[in-house]
Parts: sequence; structure tokens; C-alpha cells
Amino acid sequence: MAELNERAFQKQEVRGKKGRRNHYVKNVGLGFKTPREAIEGSYVDKKCPFTGNVHIRGRIFTGVVTKMKMQRTIVIRRDYLHFVQKYQRYEKRHKNMSVHLSPCFRDVELGDIVTVGECRPLSKTVSFNVIKVSKARGGSKKTSFQKF
Amino acid sequence: NMGITRDRTHKRRKTGGRREQLRKKRKFELGRPPSLTKIALAGTVKRVHTVRVRGGGIKLRGLRLDTGNFSWPSRGVARKTRIIDTVYNASNNELVRTKTLVKNAIVLIDATPFRQWFESHYLLPLARKKEKKSAPKAADKPADGADKEGADPGAAGGPISFTRSKKTMKKYLERQKKAEVPPALLEQFASGRLYACLTSRPGQCGRADGYILEGKELDFYLRKIRAKKTK
Repeated sequence: MAELNERAFQKQEVRGKKGRRNHYVKNVGLGFKTPREAIEGSYVDKKCPFTGNVHIRGRIFTGVVTKMKMQRTIVIRRDYLHFVQKYQRYEKRHKNMSVHLSPCFRDVELGDIVTVGECRPLSKTVSFNVIKVSKARGGSKKTSFQKF
Repeated sequence: NMGITRDRTHKRRKTGGRREQLRKKRKFELGRPPSLTKIALAGTVKRVHTVRVRGGGIKLRGLRLDTGNFSWPSRGVARKTRIIDTVYNASNNELVRTKTLVKNAIVLIDATPFRQWFESHYLLPLARKKEKKSAPKAADKPADGADKEGADPGAAGGPISFTRSKKTMKKYLERQKKAEVPPALLEQFASGRLYACLTSRPGQCGRADGYILEGKELDFYLRKIRAKKTK
């Protein structure tokens, strides 16, 4: 990640207690555990749900990681079945979603299953934030259909 | 100025497809040109225009500013000081060259108000040159109640040269224990100019306020400034 080349000093915008030296970490709620990396780490990310200025509210989805080429954001793929009334059968559909990935989730790979929560718009296409990562089952390809 | 809009309908969709124009530009989507606030030169006066905004409120569009309220975070004091120059801007070098004041610009500010506060708060000289007038105990005696404000700020070692009663000196001696200033800041005080970061948005509120850079942040920006100079 090209964070070391930033042109402005990266620091956390901490509201509240002035004397606190530590990293500000919050509990996202809804039963999601704050990763240890978020508490102990020293990264600065204002869009991180645990150490930044976003709140998780609204929808919670899960998806598979398909692309990790962007800085601090990934593309996930959500598969679902759509029922066709006339034929009484299902068809496969999918939607891609750009999702913000905080630096506290370090070992994320393609094919991992990821839980994302809705937050306010972070960019033109990103309104969701990764709040949990669970490893992929062995041998599943990223483009194959995975229903949850 | 109806040319600038803040709508999204001119942008492409995420898939790359174009969006058709649904309607003409509306007034509630309007944008205005940037104020590009400059530092008011020595003789000139500050210039701030008002703009009526949506809902009836007012925005103060700072166009030329010369002073701002700057705080010294580790000491918890703020003083109104003159802004001398822009020094660094993370977004755009052009803004430095044209001396444009924007939020998060690094500027040089006049150090004298902070030095005055320091010397009257801690009774210690701050980055004064070695050959100062040797009058640590001046003839003036303080009024009852240890009035220290009476010193002429221009006199060398003004507040320091009052003699005070032991009781009031105790207060200052306690403070002096925490008075130490890091060398990076001392150098700046010696030159009379401090590096500061703007935190207000001059084009929105008409003020150029900020805080003095300290610690890691100061190191970071000093490095950036030096790197630019050597290029």
C-alpha cells in the first residue's frame, strides 16, 4: 500500500477525550468483534469502521472477495438466486460491490468470504465496509456460484 | 454563478455507461467558484465578502486574510497572530507559490504573542539571544497582588524582571518544571516564526485559524519542506 508516500501527515481525528494517547478504537456493534489488529495497530484510516469516522448501520451482507487491486478497497461478489414465476425455477444472478477494506484485516485473499455492513457513502461507488473476514473453503474458485 | 454544479447526473455509472440528462441544472445544485484566499500583504486590509446561501444563511468568503487565531496544542493556549507566508500544501504546490490559504495548508506565523505568553506564564526567557540586559531584579516592585501584566512588552525580559514575593514565585517555580520546549520549536521561536497548520476553511468562514505544529507532525512537514527546497 502506498501509504508511506502520503503528502499530508496521517493522523486520527479523535473526538472526545483530549488527553488520550492511545489509538481510538470503537466497538462496531451488532455483535461484531473488533479485530486485534485494529486495537494494536498503528495505521490511520478514517474510513475504517473500528478506528475511523464511519458507523455501521443499515444492511449487512456477505460476499466473496473477487478483486483486491484498489487501495484499501476490494470488490466482492454476491451471488443469489432469482425465481422465475413462469417456469417455477431459479436462475443464478450476481452483483459486484466495491467495499472498503480496513488495514486491520491483513490476510485477506481472493475467495475469502467477507461480511460487510452499510455505512455512509465513502466514495462514488462505495457505501459498505468490511467488518468480518472468514477464510475460504479449500478449493473453491472465485467465479463459481456460492450461495450462503 | 450557474455554471458550476454539484450534481452527479453528468457522471458515468459504475458500469461505465453514460447517463442521460434528466433535467436542466437546478439552483439547489449550484456550486460557486473557489475563493483562493490570499495572504493580505503588509499594507493592505483584509477582505471578506458575504454570500447568501441556501436556506438563508451566510457564508463569509475570505479573500484576503492577514491574521488568524492559532493555538499551541501542548500548552493549551491560543493567540491571534499574523500569517506571514505559506510554506507547504499537500494537495497542490501551486497553492504554495500563489500564497493561497486553504485548510491544512502549512503556514508561517508570527511567534511574538506566543513568546509573550510563555515568558509571562513561566517567567523564563524563550529563545532569547545570549546578550540580554542583565537586570534580573529591576527596580520596580510589584503592586500588592503580584501584578505582572504591567510590563512593557518591548523591554528586554519584561515580565521576568519583576521581583515577586516568595509566595507568588512558588506558583511560577511549579510551572517552570513543565516549561521545557523541544529544540525544533526553540529554533522557530529564535527566528520569530512558527510553523502552523490551518484548520479552518477561509473560503467558508472567513477565518484562517489553526494550530502550531509539534512533535511527529512537525518533523513530517519539516522533512517535506526541506525535500522541496533541495530539489
